[in-house]
Amino acid sequence: MTVTELAAKLELRPLTPQVTPSTEQVTGGYVSDLLSDVLANAPRGGVLVTVQVHLNVIAVAVHAELAGVIFALDRVPDESVRAKAVAEGIPLYTTKESAFDVAGRLYEFGLRGPRA
Amino acid sequence: MKQFLADLHIHTALSPCAAEDMTPPAIVQAALDSGLAMIAICDHNSAGNTAATQAAAGDRLCALAGMELTTAEEVHVLGLFPDAARASAAAAEVVATLPQADAAYYERFGPQQLMGADGRVLGFERRMLAVASTFELSAAIALIHRHDGVAVAAHVNRPSFSVVSQLGMFPPDAGFDAIEVFSAPGFPSRAAEFAGHGLAVLSSSDSHFLGDVGSACSVFEMRAPTFEELRLAMRGADGRAVRCA
Repeated sequence: MTVTELAAKLELRPLTPQVTPSTEQVTGGYVSDLLSDVLANAPRGGVLVTVQVHLNVIAVAVHAELAGVIFALDRVPDESVRAKAVAEGIPLYTTKESAFDVAGRLYEFGLRGPRA
Repeated sequence: MKQFLADLHIHTALSPCAAEDMTPPAIVQAALDSGLAMIAICDHNSAGNTAATQAAAGDRLCALAGMELTTAEEVHVLGLFPDAARASAAAAEVVATLPQADAAYYERFGPQQLMGADGRVLGFERRMLAVASTFELSAAIALIHRHDGVAVAAHVNRPSFSVVSQLGMFPPDAGFDAIEVFSAPGFPSRAAEFAGHGLAVLSSSDSHFLGDVGSACSVFEMRAPTFEELRLAMRGADGRAVRCA
């Protein structure tokens, strides 16, 4: 499943419509708000589910080569963060669901964490 | 220029996790016994015991009024202020964002004691100082600067509540005035690594117990142990300097 297909299935609200998401298959998922943890453990080509909206989310997403970031609980990062994501080509989404429920649905779609 | 030893991160019994014998007079005595010329009182999300500690110190020691603010990202940021009034004004904005404490909270986190200069208990902080404020990092640093303070990234080398643990990497444009490393035997300070950000690097004890006061400190080369001299030393102005002891 690509990021675009996944976003449609989860009915995520896109925050960076200017970004064309990767057409590669999403490799897995990760849920964390500690960006040091994301940096160390998130799977390359996977999606991150978080409530962390600091600008460093984008830098970490680039470094960890994430396919996209899903903000839970209707969190929306500042315009400066969204602009950075557009510049770096990282698609951002938000949803009213909690990180737990988003992760559960991703799991149902067959995605797994890095150590599964 | 003269050299002054400073331990700029000390909690009082107001902090939820600090020992109850961390009273203003006991902290001042411990600091004097450790040969410190300067300390900073930095309780979690509060400056409620800073004026009392300054009164307890008198002219024997420079006791700066500070606060250890917990941002929405759960990053700890030290604010050091020119006086207790400005520290308290900044802290009032922070504490207003915290929930009210209940009986279960006090049982777990302790009484959050507000004290006088003689160490007597004058009251109890009614908000949950142990939780995160709603200030995001950039807003927290702006708050500290708005009240004429300096903002220090707290214990950046620790695995929790540090700007690095929470945000993955040091944000170079966040507006910090200095970086604090936590120092303890067997704990890597990584001071040289953090010096690469072009900011003053401090070493502090983050004392929660009397025996830890002065166990780590910084050496300030400046004219006198005052807040304004400290601010200049952090910028390296006119031959002033600061380094980890």
